[in-house]
Amino acid sequence: MTTTESRQKHKILVVDDEPDLEPLMLQRMRRYIRTGVYEFVFARNGVEALEALDMDESIDMVLSDINMPKMDGLTLLERIPDVAPDIRAVIISAYGDMKNIRIAMNRGAFDFVTKPVDFDDLKFTIDRTLQHIREWREALSARDKLVVLQNELNVASMMQQSILPNKFARNDDYKLFGTMQPARNVGGDFFDVVGLSDGKVGLAIADVSGKGVPAALFMMSSRTLLKGAAMRADGPGEALSEVNDVLNEDNDACMFVTMIYAVYDPETGELTYADGGHDPPLVVHADGSTTQLPVTEGLALGVLPGFDYHQHSHRLEPGDTVVLYTDGVTEAINSEEEQLGLHRLREAFEQNPPQDAEDAGHRVIDLVNEFAGDVPQFDDTTCLVLRREA
Amino acid sequence: MGINAERADGTVIAKADGRIDSSNSREFHSELEAVVADSDAALVLDFEDVAYISSAGMRVILLTAKSLQKSGTKFALCSMDDSIREVFKISGFDKIIEIHHSQAEALSAVSA
Repeated sequence: MTTTESRQKHKILVVDDEPDLEPLMLQRMRRYIRTGVYEFVFARNGVEALEALDMDESIDMVLSDINMPKMDGLTLLERIPDVAPDIRAVIISAYGDMKNIRIAMNRGAFDFVTKPVDFDDLKFTIDRTLQHIREWREALSARDKLVVLQNELNVASMMQQSILPNKFARNDDYKLFGTMQPARNVGGDFFDVVGLSDGKVGLAIADVSGKGVPAALFMMSSRTLLKGAAMRADGPGEALSEVNDVLNEDNDACMFVTMIYAVYDPETGELTYADGGHDPPLVVHADGSTTQLPVTEGLALGVLPGFDYHQHSHRLEPGDTVVLYTDGVTEAINSEEEQLGLHRLREAFEQNPPQDAEDAGHRVIDLVNEFAGDVPQFDDTTCLVLRREA
Repeated sequence: MGINAERADGTVIAKADGRIDSSNSREFHSELEAVVADSDAALVLDFEDVAYISSAGMRVILLTAKSLQKSGTKFALCSMDDSIREVFKISGFDKIIEIHHSQAEALSAVSA
């Protein structure tokens, strides 16, 4: 067994109506045929060549004469893509026949050799063509893998969109609105609204570390855990403590999620919230002035088991709008590489107080899009808004 | 993003630069793992030239903190600008990872 046997054998289709070429080729290339580098198959004209290509998918390249009966080499060049799109052809032409060489090249020939055939040059040309074909095939396979990956990301993106609430409570006491604008390569933001006993409502917004499928999976489990904890727990601090403890089990990958969970009581207007390493709520008053609520000094969830999450309460006035957002908003980047920053968000509301919850939500997304312009954003842009009406 | 590291008396001082985000967080992680050995007493990661760190980068800091804790290697961060310091504050990471104003302060803390 020689080492060349382990290499892939390349099959070359030689197309020529002159019967002398076949024995000559086999004789001059015998060394490479014997060691399994090349295998030659032969056809007498373009029609036979197309039949051979159609029957045998293992042919790597075509080496063709130009003048032949039934179908000439130039016509064959035009027809090859129909039967074997990834094949490359080298043309054998009469010496100095520039007209036909130009036509052949324009019809997609990879290269040409001239008669009488110099077999050293032919060997070089064949190897160069085969090398090109190998690279081409590698590129195709890389592209296919990329397509598969892109499909996976699309699944992650659909998962992310499908879990977000899209119908929001509208009653006389309060109104809700949430929206997420996904980044190009799937981030892990989500928000949720949970109906609780006594007419209270739970509001959550979260941002999972990293991107892609892992972030989407971690997002799904965080969201499910929170929903369960929200129903059971006595207050947001306890809910986050419970979610955090479960997320810390088997979290060798050190994924984490920053989150705010808030409970609103429409009876009293009281908003009680706990932050898990997330930007605190921004309250926009009816006149457009804003207050950033204090942090409760929580830690991102999934980082440290047993962490005790605290909570804080704030009474909303009628007309107050609470804006929960992810850092995709405040860290949006413009063409000058500046960050949008909380101050721009506050200024936007101060100049033009929101009309209602939905207006406030759209205004946040519009602000980010206007600020960013054409600059692609790498993070999801998400906000969840509650407005106390009465 | 890149990391420059030097070692003095068993303390590795690593200086990262540029933006650390999901496009290069794996590279950041492997470079950070490469600069420190189990036998090192401490790692000081200098943020002076870091312009931005995303959650994917924060995760690498967390992974590093946990693996250094296992090998008994001290870990401190230093020289962050205000916006990055804020990210560590809001996420609560500053509760579990030491952060110092300057490299000198970080070095004296880990050698104490």
